[in-house]
Amino acid sequence: MGSDPVGSDPIKADWVVLGAGPGGYAAAFYAADRGRKVILVEQEKRLGGVCLNSGCIPSKALLHATELMRESKESAKRGIRFSEPKVDLAQLRAWKEGILEKLAGGIRTLAQRRGVEVMQGRGYFEDSRTLRVETESGQKFIRFVKMILAVGSKPALPTAFDLGNPRVMTSTEALELEETPRDLLVVGGGYIGMELGTVYATLGSRVVLVEAMGSILSGVDPDLARPVLQYAQAAFKEVRLNVKVSKMATGGKQIKVAMEVEGKKREELYDRVLVSVGRTPNCADLGLENTKVTRDGKGFVQVNGKQQTADSAIAAIGDVVGGAMLAHKASKEARVAVEALLGEEVSSREAVIPAVVFTDPEVAWCGLTEAEAAEKKIPVEVARFPWAASGRALTLDRPDGLTKLILEPGSERVLGVGIVGHGAGDLISEGVLAVEMGATAKDLAETVHPHPTLSETLMECAEVFYGTSTHLFLRRRTIES
Amino acid sequence: MEIRLPQLAEGADSGTVVNILVAVGDKVRKDQTVLELENQKAVAPIPAPAAGTIAQIHVKQGDVVSVGQMLVTLTGEGVPEQKPEPRTPFAERPPSSSGFPPPASPSIRKMAKELGLDLAQIPGSGNGGRITSEDVRGYLQSLQSAPARRAPPKVDFAKWGPVTRKPFTPLRQAIARAMEESWTTIPHVTQFDDADVSGILKLIEKFGPEYEKKGTRLTLTGIVIRALVPVLKKYPVFNASLDEGSQEIILKQYIHLGIAVDTEGGLIVPVLRDADRKNLLDLSRELQDLAEKTRARKISMEQLQGGTFTISNQGGIGGGHFTPIIHKPEVAILGVGRARPKLPLALSYDHRVIDGAAAARFIRDLGQGLETFPESEVNI
Repeated sequence: MGSDPVGSDPIKADWVVLGAGPGGYAAAFYAADRGRKVILVEQEKRLGGVCLNSGCIPSKALLHATELMRESKESAKRGIRFSEPKVDLAQLRAWKEGILEKLAGGIRTLAQRRGVEVMQGRGYFEDSRTLRVETESGQKFIRFVKMILAVGSKPALPTAFDLGNPRVMTSTEALELEETPRDLLVVGGGYIGMELGTVYATLGSRVVLVEAMGSILSGVDPDLARPVLQYAQAAFKEVRLNVKVSKMATGGKQIKVAMEVEGKKREELYDRVLVSVGRTPNCADLGLENTKVTRDGKGFVQVNGKQQTADSAIAAIGDVVGGAMLAHKASKEARVAVEALLGEEVSSREAVIPAVVFTDPEVAWCGLTEAEAAEKKIPVEVARFPWAASGRALTLDRPDGLTKLILEPGSERVLGVGIVGHGAGDLISEGVLAVEMGATAKDLAETVHPHPTLSETLMECAEVFYGTSTHLFLRRRTIES
Repeated sequence: MEIRLPQLAEGADSGTVVNILVAVGDKVRKDQTVLELENQKAVAPIPAPAAGTIAQIHVKQGDVVSVGQMLVTLTGEGVPEQKPEPRTPFAERPPSSSGFPPPASPSIRKMAKELGLDLAQIPGSGNGGRITSEDVRGYLQSLQSAPARRAPPKVDFAKWGPVTRKPFTPLRQAIARAMEESWTTIPHVTQFDDADVSGILKLIEKFGPEYEKKGTRLTLTGIVIRALVPVLKKYPVFNASLDEGSQEIILKQYIHLGIAVDTEGGLIVPVLRDADRKNLLDLSRELQDLAEKTRARKISMEQLQGGTFTISNQGGIGGGHFTPIIHKPEVAILGVGRARPKLPLALSYDHRVIDGAAAARFIRDLGQGLETFPESEVNI
C-alpha cells in the first residue's frame, strides 16, 4: 500500500475490539482476563455503548423515578396520601446523568486495571487486517491479528419521518428528557415505545401510541402482553392498533402527523413524536467492504455459531449481527467469540437469551414461547399460575400478573418460561436457569421457595401442572394416594 | 372406530379410569380428551384420534384397564380408519418430542463440546433424563473399556515400493460403518444351496425379446424376487427386525426388498417397495429404473430406507457362493451367484432371531420355487 501518512507507522496489535458497548467491553475484558493484549476502540468519549448511554440504563433510571410517582398516587387508596409531586426535569436529568458517569467511569477503571488500552476515535477498515482510527490527535493505523466487531445499532428513523426537526425523536433523544411535551405521539408499540411512553405519560404528557400491527409487543405471547396493554390503555390517552403513520411535517411549533385510523385519513398535531420502529446496524462508513465480511438483506453482519464472520480475522457480536438486540445477548456472544478465537469448541446458538420489557407490569420470557410452539407445531403443555392467587402479589397491590411454564409432554422438561407482573425481569432468571439446566416441572415443584415472595409463583405454576397447587384449585384432578 | 388404551410408557401397562369426560352422543374434536387415566405416576388424558361422535363407552369410572382394551367407540363422518397415535405422557425418558437437544446443564454441554462427545449418545440418569456429570464420566469409561479402536501402528508402506494414496470417501466410510456395525453385533450364519435354473434360463431366452419390446429387460433378479415373495410370506421371521430395546421381534406385513447395486463409488442398496404386489413386468421396469438412478447417484434418501430383506446378485459378474453381510436392521440377506449351470444361493441370517432349521427350509423352498418357476408368471 505505502499510502500511510508520514509518522503513522501502524501500531501492531494482537487483538482489537471495535466498539465499547456491553458486547465490546465484555469481549475486551474477557480476552484480557485470558491473557491477551487488547486494544479497545470507541468513538464516543463515554464508554458503555447504547446500553449505558442511551438505552437500558437511562431508561431504567427514568422508569424507576416515574414508578415512584405512580406508587405515591396509588397509595391514596391504602390510606397514605402524598401531595402532587413536583418534577424538576433538570434535576431528574442530572441524577440520571450521574448514574451514567459513574458506570462509564467504572468501565474505564476496569479497563485500566486489566491493561486494556482504550483508544478513542472512529474506526475504519482499510483492509482485513488494518483499522484506521480517527483520533483527536490524528489518524492512527492498527495492524491486528484478530478483530471483534461490536459496533452496535442505532434507532431506525424512516426517511418519511426524518424532518431534521428535534421534535421528532428517537429513543436516544427521548432519553435526554429535554421537556415534557403536552401531546406526545409514540410510533411503534414495541418495548422501547411502551417503556418510554410510560415514562412520559407519568411525567404528564398526553400520550397517543400507534402500532401498525394488531398487537403491542409483537412476538410476546398474548396472555403476557394483555396486562401491559390494559395498563397502557388506562395510562395513555389512547392506544391505536392497526394504524399506520404515513407522513409527518413541521407545523409551527408542532408536528403534523398523517395517519389512517379505521379507514379514515386523519391529521393531528403533536408537540413531539417518538419514533420507535426498530433498530439498524451501525455498518455505514466502516469500510466493511474492504474486508471479506458479508451482510444479510437487512444489513446485519453474518456470523456462524462461533461468531465468526466470513472474514477469518474478524468476529462480530451484539446488535450488529442482528437477532435479539439485547445487552446480555451481546455479552454472551462476547465470551463465545473470545473462546472461539482462543480455539475452544463453543457455540452461542444454544444459549437461552431471556427477554425483558420494563413496562408496567414488566414482561419477561425465555426459551420457547407458546406462540412459537404453535407456529412450529411443537407439541407442548402449558401451566399457568395467575398472581391473584399469590399472597405476595396482593401485599404489593399487584395481582395483575401471570407466571407460565411451557413444558415438553412426556419428559415434563421446562422448554420455556413466561412471566408478566411486578419484577418479572428479576424473576425470569430462575426460569432461564431451569431451561438451561434441562429442569423438569417436578424439579421446580420440589424446590422450596421462600414465602411470601413472587418467586413462589414459579413453584406453584409447576404444581398447577400436576394439579396440586396449594393456592390455586383449578379442577378436580384428584391424585389418590 | 375403536379407541383402545395405547401403550403409555414402558412398564405402564394398565391404569385406572378416573374421569370420563364425554357421554354417548357427544361430538368430539380430534385430540379432545375423552377420558383420564391414572397409574402410579400420573394422570394421563386419552385423546380422541379423530373427530366423530361417541357411539359407546365401554368402561366406567374406577375401572382398571390394560393396554389394548377397548375404551370408546367413535362413529361419524371424516373418521379415518387408523390407529390412534400412541401418546407417551409419562415415560421415564422419552426422546425429545420437540426436537430439542437432550437435557443437560450448560457446564455439562460445554464439557461435552470440548471432549467432542455427542450428548444424544449419553443416557441421562437425572429427572426427565437429564445428563449429569456422572453420566458423562460413565460414558467416557464405557468408551475407554470398549475394545480399543483399531489404532494400528503407522506403517510406511513406501519403504517397500511405490504407493499411491486415495481418499476413503464418505460413501466408503458409510459402507464401512454399516458393515462393521452389522458384522460385530449380529451373529451371522450363511446357508448355501444351489438351484437348477435351466427352466428359467429358457424362459428368459424365450420371453426376453417380449420384455425388450416393452422397453425393459427380463432378468434373473426379477424372477428370483417373484420366487422369493411366497417364501418370505411363508417364513415371516425372515422379513423382520429385532427390537433390542423392547425385546420384541417386529414382523413386517409389507415386503420392501433392498437391491444391492454396485456403483462406481461403492455399494448402494436402494429399496424396491411392495415387491409382493407387483408382476414381473413391473418389477423388471422398477429394477432397471432403480439401478440406473442409483448408478447416477440420483436416488433419494427415502428410496434407501424401509427395506425388509435384501438381495445381492453377483451373477452378472460371475460370482459363486459368498457370505453376504446382513443389512441391519434386517435379519437376513440372499446372495445369488452365476448359474453354471446350477444357481449358487447363499442365505445369511441373524442367528439370534432365526435358527438353522428354518434357514434350511427357507432356502430349500426357494430353490424349489426357482426349479419349478411357472411360465405363466413370465408370459405377458
